[in-house]
Amino acid sequence: MNPLYLGTNERRIFGIYEPAGPQANRARAAVLCNPWGSEYVYAHRSLRQLAIKLAACGYHTLRFDFFGTGDSGGDMSEADLAGWEADAVSAIEGIKDIAGTARVAVIGLRLGANIAAAVAARFADQIDALVMWDPIVSGEDYLHALLAASRPMSVAGDPDAVEVDGFVLTGTMMRDLKTIELRDVIAAPPSRTLALITERLASHDGLDVVVTPPGSKRLSIEFLPAPCPWVGSVTTSGAVPVRAIQRITEWLE
Amino acid sequence: MSGKFTEQALLLGPRQSLVGIVTRPSTPAPTAKPAIVILNTGVVHRVGHHRMYVTMARAFAGAGHTVLRFDFSGIGDSDRRTDRLSPVNACLADIKEALDSLEKSHRISQFVLVGLCSGADYAVLYGHTDPRVVGLVLMDPSIPPTARYYFHYVAQRLSRLRNWISVVTGRSGLIRLLLTQFFYGARASRTGGLTLESLQFDPYLAQCYRDSVSRGIRMLAAFTSISPRQTYRQQMLDAFPDVHFNDQLKLEFFPESDHLFSAQKDRSKLSRAIMDWVGSALGAGTLAQVPKSRAFN
Repeated sequence: MNPLYLGTNERRIFGIYEPAGPQANRARAAVLCNPWGSEYVYAHRSLRQLAIKLAACGYHTLRFDFFGTGDSGGDMSEADLAGWEADAVSAIEGIKDIAGTARVAVIGLRLGANIAAAVAARFADQIDALVMWDPIVSGEDYLHALLAASRPMSVAGDPDAVEVDGFVLTGTMMRDLKTIELRDVIAAPPSRTLALITERLASHDGLDVVVTPPGSKRLSIEFLPAPCPWVGSVTTSGAVPVRAIQRITEWLE
Repeated sequence: MSGKFTEQALLLGPRQSLVGIVTRPSTPAPTAKPAIVILNTGVVHRVGHHRMYVTMARAFAGAGHTVLRFDFSGIGDSDRRTDRLSPVNACLADIKEALDSLEKSHRISQFVLVGLCSGADYAVLYGHTDPRVVGLVLMDPSIPPTARYYFHYVAQRLSRLRNWISVVTGRSGLIRLLLTQFFYGARASRTGGLTLESLQFDPYLAQCYRDSVSRGIRMLAAFTSISPRQTYRQQMLDAFPDVHFNDQLKLEFFPESDHLFSAQKDRSKLSRAIMDWVGSALGAGTLAQVPKSRAFN
């Protein structure tokens, strides 16, 4: 395990690289994209376990913090989705250099899944597989849930921004989030794609009957009941959803 | 990267198994300042709730301090230890290894430990054992319940029917608390087997504060409105009647803040209070008065 910084001096991105296990018979690589806000804090342990498991299965794995989050540079007042997609591209380039591969698997949890999907669509020729773990179905609904979950507070110096659950959301970021639609990805998956849903919501109904174009049989939508690692709870914080991690690694194999 | 600080990711300890981030001022301070070491809160990794410790580390670095945020073994990105130490002793050993690494790599010999909740408890348990520790910042640390605490506790709950039902059904937190205190009071002479869950009742906690005072360690204790361990401002002083803190302890209260300093404005107030205290209590003049020849336990 190696902690490192990627990116430029102005946009430093923190990552943790897990080298592939010694039994790996060919170089493969994966990038993990985090969720946002408190979800990022609570999911950290599970994503680390997923990275370790992938490394044991032969994947050189890099998980990283988006700019303005975690150990990366900047703060949330400087963050936007386009920038975070660029961070994911930096991570993909970084792991390709380290592992010596031309293609990578991208895996994201919650908001990270949607960012992974956006990047996979733009750079399909470099993506082996896309795993969306409990992705955001509708950005509008996601934003509404964030605002409803805690009393939003104003942010000094930025009338367009709000503070939700202790984290700043700028006006730009809120506009960006509203554009997220999972159906767009599902209708045209950029590569071999798994959407793994562990928390079944009403908004998931009908996802699996979205009409996909010919040649899209590579899309798999699976419902697998498992603990939600991004939710803070007295009883489940720190619990790792072993079945979900197992399923992701099996599917990638 | 801001012009005021630089950040470096490190693997610390003899096994290079502890993951840490060192934040340093871009321009070294003209006079040596103690390094700030921020400890994990519960199982949350070194970033802290609401990214609190990243912001705090950068603010301290902007004021000329070197800051280390690192993960205890088995928490965050750090690997588990293999030496079969108990959870408490493992964390205390981790702190020593992290300080040793920072002393060696950055030639720093004085440290201030900062922790919230369990992090505060580890800071208290470790600080007095290491002469390099000159200050402790304790946010909602464990403190023993006092008679006045119980009075407030009961008074706050008398009017709630739910609490009466809990008493009748034997699920009352108060009864549990009293039984635990009685149990630990009866075992006051015990040694070993220390756990954070029972620390507030353990006589060893008072011993840690006594030793910290005698070693000249300066302490800032910050309490929130819903600290699970205190109900009134002077509880810390009442809880340790045999510890003469004198001017080595400063108490700060954040009546509007929750236990995790969830609101940004509360985190800003906390950060300012800590930085002001470090500047005034641990300035060069104060450090010169700290005994240099303290034995390491």
